[in-house]
Amino acid sequence: MSRHRDEHLDLCAALALGILEGAERAEIEAHLAQGCGTCDAELGRMGHGALLMAVSAPPLAAPATLRVRVMEAVRGQATPRPIAQVRALPRPSYPRRRAVWTWAWGAALAVIAVAGMMQYRRALDLEHKLAAASGELERLRHQVEEEARWAALPSAPRVKVVTLAATPAGSSELIARVTYDPDTRRAVVMCDHFTAPAGSDYQLWAIHGSGPSSLGLVRPDRAGRAVIRLPDAGDPASLAAFAVSLEKEGGAPTPNAPAGPVVMVGKIPS
Amino acid sequence: MNDPDRDRACIERLRAGDTRALEDLYDRYGDLLYSMVVRILGRAAEAEDVLQEAWLQVWRKADAYDPARGTVGAWLVTVARSRAIDRLRSEGSRRRAETAAGDEPATPPGDPSVDAGARILGERVTSALAKLDSRHRQVLILAYFDCLSQREIADRLDAPLGTVKSWTRQALLRLGELVPPEGES
Repeated sequence: MSRHRDEHLDLCAALALGILEGAERAEIEAHLAQGCGTCDAELGRMGHGALLMAVSAPPLAAPATLRVRVMEAVRGQATPRPIAQVRALPRPSYPRRRAVWTWAWGAALAVIAVAGMMQYRRALDLEHKLAAASGELERLRHQVEEEARWAALPSAPRVKVVTLAATPAGSSELIARVTYDPDTRRAVVMCDHFTAPAGSDYQLWAIHGSGPSSLGLVRPDRAGRAVIRLPDAGDPASLAAFAVSLEKEGGAPTPNAPAGPVVMVGKIPS
Repeated sequence: MNDPDRDRACIERLRAGDTRALEDLYDRYGDLLYSMVVRILGRAAEAEDVLQEAWLQVWRKADAYDPARGTVGAWLVTVARSRAIDRLRSEGSRRRAETAAGDEPATPPGDPSVDAGARILGERVTSALAKLDSRHRQVLILAYFDCLSQREIADRLDAPLGTVKSWTRQALLRLGELVPPEGES
């Protein structure tokens, strides 16, 4: 059994992140294979950290079609089929003419012609559907590219995370956190326990040196949770804090002053 | 996040050839793995291909899971991520050069249809990442999402290789302290 060394702990970290290669990977795998409780436990801790990194990716819902593909492949043990192969539809093949009895020539030709026409129409239909799918794909790609900056927000170099605290006028159950990138001015606001009393709405505010400006109403789901994306949360030169007020239903009458009590506030760290 | 006992029971059922066990695991981890692989590859269609391969690997090689070395969730993440890294490497240096040039992968933002609980957890982890020492945070992001080797990270950060190795471990430990496994918080 290879003796445990402190260097093995660093190797466990790299192994958990999947970035270990070559001799070092072979070394730690051989060491683990021989049994090392210390490294097994370390790998468990590092694996949890790696799992958290996965959780930090912008959450997406996997397409329902993927689940179907996976389960079909598992049940049939079929080789995974890349989408590219699906796109490359073969051209329709037309039935060959074969020798038939003389009296059947006319009928056979008619059948072949009809079958060929049906095949041709089916191919055209498929081509149209393919063109539509390609257009949709292009639209989705454009959308993905258009919004790529959102994905970069949490790891932006100067990102600020602002945890809002309840004021004396607010409930201590309220939870709100703003992730703000001063370089792009984008922000994502996560809210929890934001079910407003009947006839009222919570409203989000950016507090500038010159005063507040509305960032809109918080529209929580039935569980009281909401995620708000703000394409422009404000100029970092003047933006000092974020706040939440409790307003009458529909929000404050003016976009530059809360009418109701301010229930949460959080200063942007310098 | 998930019930570890239930996950381990699924692995046992997988080993016995129960395809419904894979469905159970998929329903609990499908979105997480998809989000991670899309973040790494930047392309949804590629991510789907990679994930199909990954789930097949889980099905075929459930025996490879060792509970002494972590949770089922961590193992699933490792399997899917390894497949994603393989895909990146199979594309040669082109994508890596793009990444090295500082381009962000074309990854969509969070999907509003994702469970709000998952979003809150994700935000909690993001907040924990923001609390890390900036070098530690950079090391984790370069390693995890840009899939750089520790040598490449050392070059990128102009830091000694040994220091990068040490930062990697410290960063993962600190992140785990800030967001401990369920039942330990």
